[in-house]
Amino acid sequence: MEDPGLLQDGLALMALGMGFVFVFLTVLVVSVTLMSKLIGRFQPVPAAVSTDKNTHKPAAASSQDDEVMAVISAAVHRYRTTRRR
Amino acid sequence: MDNLATLWEGSGLYNLELGQLVMILVGLLLLYLAIYKKFEPLLLVPIGFGGILANIPEAGLALSALDQAIEVAKPAVLQPMAAALGATLDPSSGADAWRESLKAIAHGGAAPDQVRAARDIAVGVGYSDGMLYSFYTVAIGSGVAPLLIFMGVGAMTDFGPLLANPRTLFLGAAAQFGIFATLFGAVALSSMGLMDFSLDQAAAIGIIGGADGPTSIYVASVLAPELLGAIAVAAYAYMALVPLIQPPIMRLLTTQKERQIKMTQLRPVSKLEKIIFPLMLLILVALFLPDAAPLLGMFCFGNLMRECGVVERLSDTAQNSLINIVTIILGLSVGSKLMAGSFLTLETLGILGLGIVAFGIGTSAGVLMAKLMNLVSKMPINPLIGAAGVSAVPMAARVANKVGLESNPHNFLLMHAMGPNVAGVIGSAVAAGVMIKYLG
Repeated sequence: MEDPGLLQDGLALMALGMGFVFVFLTVLVVSVTLMSKLIGRFQPVPAAVSTDKNTHKPAAASSQDDEVMAVISAAVHRYRTTRRR
Repeated sequence: MDNLATLWEGSGLYNLELGQLVMILVGLLLLYLAIYKKFEPLLLVPIGFGGILANIPEAGLALSALDQAIEVAKPAVLQPMAAALGATLDPSSGADAWRESLKAIAHGGAAPDQVRAARDIAVGVGYSDGMLYSFYTVAIGSGVAPLLIFMGVGAMTDFGPLLANPRTLFLGAAAQFGIFATLFGAVALSSMGLMDFSLDQAAAIGIIGGADGPTSIYVASVLAPELLGAIAVAAYAYMALVPLIQPPIMRLLTTQKERQIKMTQLRPVSKLEKIIFPLMLLILVALFLPDAAPLLGMFCFGNLMRECGVVERLSDTAQNSLINIVTIILGLSVGSKLMAGSFLTLETLGILGLGIVAFGIGTSAGVLMAKLMNLVSKMPINPLIGAAGVSAVPMAARVANKVGLESNPHNFLLMHAMGPNVAGVIGSAVAAGVMIKYLG
């Protein structure tokens, strides 16, 4: 044994490093699980948020959206009826 | 006749030293392994070729201007350089003895400004840095090349399987035991007096067990640049050997019944989760371990480019053309560290030996951790996927899949093994951060 201090340093680094890797990845596991749960629960939320934003916009924009919706549904309706013939 | 003699004395054959010859053969061996045995050819071809270039006698491709001047300059140039280094040359001894003593002074003892003054004299008489030396300074000395590769790896990584089953992160953590056990092994070897490794060097050797080329090179360039050649060669050679090293260990530690365990289908992962994950990882790194920020920061950046879907051109560049360019430069730079003087030592043998032990211990720790998790959790985990925790993406995951198929031809483990596989990349980068924090 030339240098017992070196051996001790090695052991300390081993314990510290392994411990930290586990702690960090545990935190990561917890946060990933939480994030997935949150996103899973509020999956419809992005849609709700976007309608919220729409209400903040000027009324002209939302009426334009309605117009576009009407045009699209009319087009879809016509397409379907033509397909059936 | 004198001219002929000068020509002969300037030839490679006349100046070839035994060590250089051996290293050229080592370079050829690496090329053989890469070309005929398909051992990580993308890296071993540039590394092997760089190793041959670095050992061409008199060319000094891997030397700085100062070292080149010391190596080959006329005695009339050596004297002012010695004066700049604050040394006196004994006129009675020959030029060869002068070169030896100058080399010793320049690489230890001399103050930085003295070295700079001597370098200026060398540049003044027309010596310049060798090509490979410049590559090394730009690519590895600055740390840029391994980090760019890590960004490309991030852009190639799909975290889907990991997000679907986050517990596999523990397997990636357990496999990092290989790193720290090897570190301790290297320290034990030197405290027994067999080898002479400092704690920094031991840490750089241990990281071979992370089975992650860019991480190994990054850590070695920070903690032990003098061992970089041997460490990089060991890391890449053993990564290529994963299909040979791992299966016997995996079979030894598991029963036939455990190998047949079927895992439940992974749930689909939404795009939003995949976008948030790299950002979350980055924030955790920023909060807990800023020293891992260079590695994991680039990794997360690459992954975000992949997943966000609005910068496909950048993501495409990061995972194809950029990573290819950087690989060429990185390989040649690593080759420049394969010079006879620093590579042909007992320590290199020690590093090669410890490296393979590191892989073995990492694999076993991953498998044992998976068995432990099987005891405590409801969802079944096939212990074979634990072995994929030693990064080596995607080779280790394929090995787990293959060994699983041997036991049950209908049991496909590949996607399940990708979880611990990418967890291993994160784990080894975290381990690297801890070591740099502790020792740097």
